Amino acid sequence: MILRVENAAFAYRGQKPLFQNVSFSVASGEVLAVLGPNGAGKTTLLRAMTGMLPLAEGRTTLDGRDIRTMSARALWQRIAYVPQARTAAAPFTVLESVLLGRSGRIPLFGAPAAADVAAAEATLDSLGIGPLRDKRCRELSGGEMQMVLIARALAADPAVLILDEPESNLDFRNQLLVLDTVSRLAREGVACIFNTHYPDHALRRADRALLLHHGEAAVGPAAEIVTEAAIARAFGVRAAVGGIETAETTVPGVVALSVLDPSKAPSEAPDARVLAAVAVILTDAADAAAVNAVLHAHRGQIRGRMGLPVREYGLSVIHLTADGTRAELGALTDALSRLPGVRVKAARMPLSPDDPEA
Amino acid sequence: MKPAGRGTLTAGARAALWALPLAAALAAFCIGRIAVSPAQLFAALRGEGETVVAITLFRLRLPRILLSLLVGAGLAAAGVAFQALFANPLATPDTLGVASGASFGAALGILLRFGMTGIQLTALTMGAAAVALTWLGAAGRRARGLSSVVLSGIMIGSLFTALVSFVKYTADAESQLPAITYFLMGSMQSASWRTLAFGAPPVLAGCAVLWALRWRLNLLPLTEDEARAAGVNLMQLRAAVVAAATLITASCVSMCGQVGWVGLLVPHLCRLRFGENHLSLLPASLCVGAAFLTLVDTAARSISAAEIPISILTALAGAPLFILLMRRTALEGGAS
Repeated sequence: MILRVENAAFAYRGQKPLFQNVSFSVASGEVLAVLGPNGAGKTTLLRAMTGMLPLAEGRTTLDGRDIRTMSARALWQRIAYVPQARTAAAPFTVLESVLLGRSGRIPLFGAPAAADVAAAEATLDSLGIGPLRDKRCRELSGGEMQMVLIARALAADPAVLILDEPESNLDFRNQLLVLDTVSRLAREGVACIFNTHYPDHALRRADRALLLHHGEAAVGPAAEIVTEAAIARAFGVRAAVGGIETAETTVPGVVALSVLDPSKAPSEAPDARVLAAVAVILTDAADAAAVNAVLHAHRGQIRGRMGLPVREYGLSVIHLTADGTRAELGALTDALSRLPGVRVKAARMPLSPDDPEA
Repeated sequence: MKPAGRGTLTAGARAALWALPLAAALAAFCIGRIAVSPAQLFAALRGEGETVVAITLFRLRLPRILLSLLVGAGLAAAGVAFQALFANPLATPDTLGVASGASFGAALGILLRFGMTGIQLTALTMGAAAVALTWLGAAGRRARGLSSVVLSGIMIGSLFTALVSFVKYTADAESQLPAITYFLMGSMQSASWRTLAFGAPPVLAGCAVLWALRWRLNLLPLTEDEARAAGVNLMQLRAAVVAAATLITASCVSMCGQVGWVGLLVPHLCRLRFGENHLSLLPASLCVGAAFLTLVDTAARSISAAEIPISILTALAGAPLFILLMRRTALEGGAS
């Protein structure tokens, strides 16, 4: 299963676009984090990509099929959406709430059958909240409620799980529980997309990240998107990105250091073009055809290219010079990095001494 | 008694609930100015016994009992529907202005000297018109969803209340004004087979729709996004529920005037016992509502020589009961 968002743009009536040219894809078993400051349009992106809001441009496809051509019932059997946990939760018990998630599978004039109850109970057990079954939702803590909302979404047995800031408003332990659940679901083959304001969560939990800022999206492997420069630009925060050593392993982490003075922050118009050097490394020269197809699709950004085999290492390297907006370049490197057997490294040029990316 | 896993009623609870309206109906048959013993009742059912008793039972009491069962069940179901729709425990069948609209229609019918059927027809029409106006008033680009519907309902309700006052003002003070006033206070006195023939089908149809959708009523408190993500078209569901509840309320008012409190009190009473799941709440409210109104009506026609308007009794019983309920739920629910 693969969910693709292609050139998505959205604008509220009579306003300038909140975002445009947003392209990304998520496959089964992957976690994509949508990162950005408050008001960047993260929730709007999730709502628009699933058709809850109309896209001004672009489309979303599920295994190649435009979701606008699918019936609501068919679509929502495959995609599940977890809203932010509200304090004023519905007055039902946990089991009743989770059963609501199976509505799409229950006939219009019907009621949940024994199989629906069994599925809901199995979901509760798999998330470790079986004992909450008969508790009223309004008696739950924020963390428990978030787990119930995830259970409600999972009760429909979806292929794609979309979570709107699942870990905000939760305490330290509950954040970990929720994020662990997302990681585990991905290992079980669910494609997960979650919104977050925490660069740390995106870096540590997501395979790939989408940074939304000033209406443009940069997409790529989380380690390449969540950088000190990107955090400075999007959040106005000087941060340190590095590894934290534990007894067993080294985990990547982000530490916020100080708030940057907005008047000194490098301002860059969203449509500013940047020049970049991109190295595409192929482990199998036979993959060159696939790379060429991607380069052809993005030919507007390619200024120069040179390919050369490095025989003693069994590799081929294609050097590219590309120019375009950050979003366009992000889409290019993302498309390349998704090809099997292909690794991509990109660097912006030229780097002046006061450039935050230097 | 915990509700079963699916939220359906246990067999015992179901039997007890069905027994309630039957017991209330039995009591209503026997109590009244002509007291009838259960033995006499069963004799009359077999076609034996005195003619006076048979006439009292079948021509006077039976339609009246059927009417009170129907109106009680209908108003309670409409109350459940509106409370789910607005996710507000204080919503009643009049939140959208239905009852005010229907009252105006009935008053207008009496003023224009229509017969009972004519009055029923104008009441139904005006009830539906009030809801349509409320919906229109709340629609539009700047509307903010359900809260603007509630505000619009209050406005349209008071508009129709003013129209009722206007009708009363122009009515003949000797005959029409008392008739209008008395009708609007609510009474089952107009019960007859003809009233039922015209008024029962809309109530039954509305109740049937709500019954069929009873599990889906649980989805009404969700946000639009949540409902959509559950694969449900919330606007269609809301429209169906509003149409059904409007049909019930307008038809009830058209048959017996305004009967307050049933739509508020009965659902809350049932919530306390059976929880919030509409799979059990709706059937329970139907049964309890039917029994409650039948008993109140029996009291209304037997307490004194002159019949007491029913909304006076429902309010006298309802207000203290509601306060009691509120205090109990606040204590049990940990003041949520």
